[in-house]
Amino acid sequence: MGAFGHYLAAHFDTLRLEFWSLFVGGVANGFLYGMVAVGYTLVYGVLRLINFAHSEIFMSGGFASYFVMKAMIGSTVPNGAATIGLIVVGILVGGLTGAIIATLLERVAYRPLRRRNAPKLAYLISAIGASYFLFNMAGKEFGRYSISMPQPYINHNVFHIFGAGVQLYYVVIFVAGVIMLFGLDRLVATTKLGRSIRAVAQDAETASLMGVNIDRTIVLTFIVGGALGGAAGYLFGLGTGVVYTMGFVPALKAFTAAVLGGIGNLRGAMIGGLLLGVTENLSVVFVQAAYIDVVAFGVLVGVLLFRPTGILGERLGRAA
Amino acid sequence: MKLRLNKTVAAVASSALLLMAVPAVGMASASGAASKPTYVIGYEGPLSGGNQQLGLNMVFSVQLAINQANASGKLKFKLRLATYDDQGDPTISPTQAQSAVHNKSLVAIVGPAFSGATAAAEPFYSAAHIATVSPSATRVSLATNGWNNFFRVVADDGVQGPADANYLTKTKSFKSVYVVDDGTSYGAGLAQAVALQAKANGATVTSATVPGTSQCQNGTASATEYSAAATQAVASKASALFYGGYYCDLGLFLGALSSAGYSGTVMSGDGALSPALIQGTTPAAAANGVLLTCACATSTNTKFNKAYAALSHFSAANATYAPESYDAANAIINAMKSLKKVTRAGIVSALHKLAYKGMTKVVKFQKNGNIAGAAIFVNQVKSGTIVQLGLE
Repeated sequence: MGAFGHYLAAHFDTLRLEFWSLFVGGVANGFLYGMVAVGYTLVYGVLRLINFAHSEIFMSGGFASYFVMKAMIGSTVPNGAATIGLIVVGILVGGLTGAIIATLLERVAYRPLRRRNAPKLAYLISAIGASYFLFNMAGKEFGRYSISMPQPYINHNVFHIFGAGVQLYYVVIFVAGVIMLFGLDRLVATTKLGRSIRAVAQDAETASLMGVNIDRTIVLTFIVGGALGGAAGYLFGLGTGVVYTMGFVPALKAFTAAVLGGIGNLRGAMIGGLLLGVTENLSVVFVQAAYIDVVAFGVLVGVLLFRPTGILGERLGRAA
Repeated sequence: MKLRLNKTVAAVASSALLLMAVPAVGMASASGAASKPTYVIGYEGPLSGGNQQLGLNMVFSVQLAINQANASGKLKFKLRLATYDDQGDPTISPTQAQSAVHNKSLVAIVGPAFSGATAAAEPFYSAAHIATVSPSATRVSLATNGWNNFFRVVADDGVQGPADANYLTKTKSFKSVYVVDDGTSYGAGLAQAVALQAKANGATVTSATVPGTSQCQNGTASATEYSAAATQAVASKASALFYGGYYCDLGLFLGALSSAGYSGTVMSGDGALSPALIQGTTPAAAANGVLLTCACATSTNTKFNKAYAALSHFSAANATYAPESYDAANAIINAMKSLKKVTRAGIVSALHKLAYKGMTKVVKFQKNGNIAGAAIFVNQVKSGTIVQLGLE
C-alpha cells in the first residue's frame, strides 16, 4: 500500500463524509444552474440567440423577493406553515418579477431588432447593453454591497445521507427545483403553448403559416424562462444574499450548463446543470476549492471537444 | 473699478496677514508678556477626493486635541492647526510637505495619513527635522529608511498576522488552525503570516485558498464555492479558522460554515472589520462570535466621543483612525510641554523619549519610530454588533 493508499485508509471516513456532503451541495447548486439554464435554452430554441441579459432577470427576482421578504418577516424566525408559505411567496415574487423583466427585455431589447431584421450581432450587443443597464441601475438603487435575505426558517440538517447532513435550504431547492423543472417539461411537451414553442423552434415561418402567433409565442417563452430564472434568484439569494452583481457568475455557469446539455434542449439544460454542479463540488475532494471554476470550464471544453452539440444535442423542437 | 477694489482689498488683506504672521514666528517677547508664542501643528492627509472621509475623521481629532490643550491653561504657548491636503496621493504629498516646511511657525505634523504619501513626503520633513506622527500609515518599510523624525502610533502591517496567530494559539490555546485566504494580496499576505506564526507556535495548520467571488467585487469566482469550502473546513476538524480577506466574502463563507455545522472559532483581520459583514451574512446570527482584529482602535471613551461629535457633527464610533489621530496630536503636545524651548528638532528628540498614556494605548516609540508593545485590537461580533474586546 503506497502513501496515497495509506492516506486514503486513514482518512476514509472523512473522505466518505466529505464526498456525500459535497455531492448533496453539488446537486443543490446543480438545480439552481438548471433552473437558470432552461431560460437560456428556451430563448435560444425560439430565437436562435443567447439572452445575455438573463443574469439580470435572475438578479431582479432575487431583489424583488428580498424586499417582499424583508417586509413580511419580522424579528422572529417563522416556523411550520408560515415557513412554507413564505418560501412559496418568495418563489412567486421572484418568478413574477423575472417574468416582467423578461417581457420588458423582449419588448425593448429584442422585438425592435426583430422587426428590422437586424443581424445576430446586434441582438448580442443590445442584450449585453440591457444587462449592464440593469445591474448598474440595481447597484445605484440598492447599494453595491451584499445584503442577507431574511430567513423563513432556522437552517438545520433535516436528514442524513450516508452520514452527510442535508440542510433544509437544500431540501427547499430540491423540492422547488423538481416541481418547476418537471412542470416546465410537461408544459412544453403537452400543452398548446408548448406545441407552439416547439413549432416556432422547428421552423418559425412554417409555424406562422400554420396559424401560430409568433410574437405571442416568443413573449410567452421569455415569460416562462424569466419566471424560472427569477424564482432561482430568490432561491440563490436565500443562501448567499442579494447584490447587484449576483447574476453574473451563476448565469455564466447556467449558460455553460445549457451548452453542456445541448443548447436548445430542455432536458439537456437540466442534466447539464446537475452535472456541472456535482462535478465542480466533487472536484474539491481532489483539488482545492480555488480550482472549482477551472474544473467546471475544463469539463465544458472536454465535453464539447467530443460532442460539439452537447450531451443530448440541440433539439427543442422535438417533444422532449 | 471693481477690479481695482479687489486689488485694494487684496493688498490690505495681505499686509494684515503679514502683520499677523510676524509675532507668530516666535518673537513672543517683543509683543509683551501677555501673549504667548503660537506654534502650529500641521495635519497632512486626504481632505478632498475619494478618501476625504478618512482625512476628516483624523483632522477633527487633531483639532480637538489642540482646542483642549489651549483651553487647559497649562501651556506656555498657544497652538494652532494648519491642514495640508494631499488627497492621500503620493504625487501631491511632496508639494504639501514643502509648503508645511516653509511655514516657519509649524513645529510638527500629525500624518501623513497614507503610506504612499508618507514615503513621498518624508524626505522633506526629515531634512527640516519636523517630527511626523502618523495615525494610519502602516506600510512596514516606512520605518526602515532611517528617518529619525518618523513616528507612528499604529502597528504596521507586519504585526497583525503574527499577533493574530499568537492570540489564537497562545491566548486561546487552539491546537489546530484552518487558514483560509481569498487570493488577494492583502488576504493571502495576512493569512500566510498567521499560518507561519501559528506553525511556529506548535499548532497544526491547514491552509486553503477560496478565491473572492463576483458577489463581492473582490474576485470572479462563484458564490456556490462556499458550501464546498465549508465542508472541507468542517472535515479538517480544526478548532479555529482564520480568514484572510474582506467582509463581503467572509459573510458568505460564515453562512456556509454555519450551514455545514462548523462550531469552532472564526477570526479575521481589518479587511473584514465592518458592520457590512453582519448585514451580508446569511443568516446574520452566523456572524456572532467572530473575532475581528485591527491595528485601529474603536473609541469607547464617552468623554472623547461626546467632544468629538460636538466638533465634527458625526459620531466617533465609526470614525476610523480618529482615536489614533487624537493620540498622535497629544503625543506631540506632550513632547512640546517637556521642552524648555520649542523647536522642530527638539520635538523629534522629545518624542523619542516620550512615554504617554494615550487613549488607545501607551504611546512609546521604538528607535525606528514604530509604536512599542502590543498594538492590535481584537473585536468580536456580539448579537449583531461589533464590540471591541481590547488589545491582543
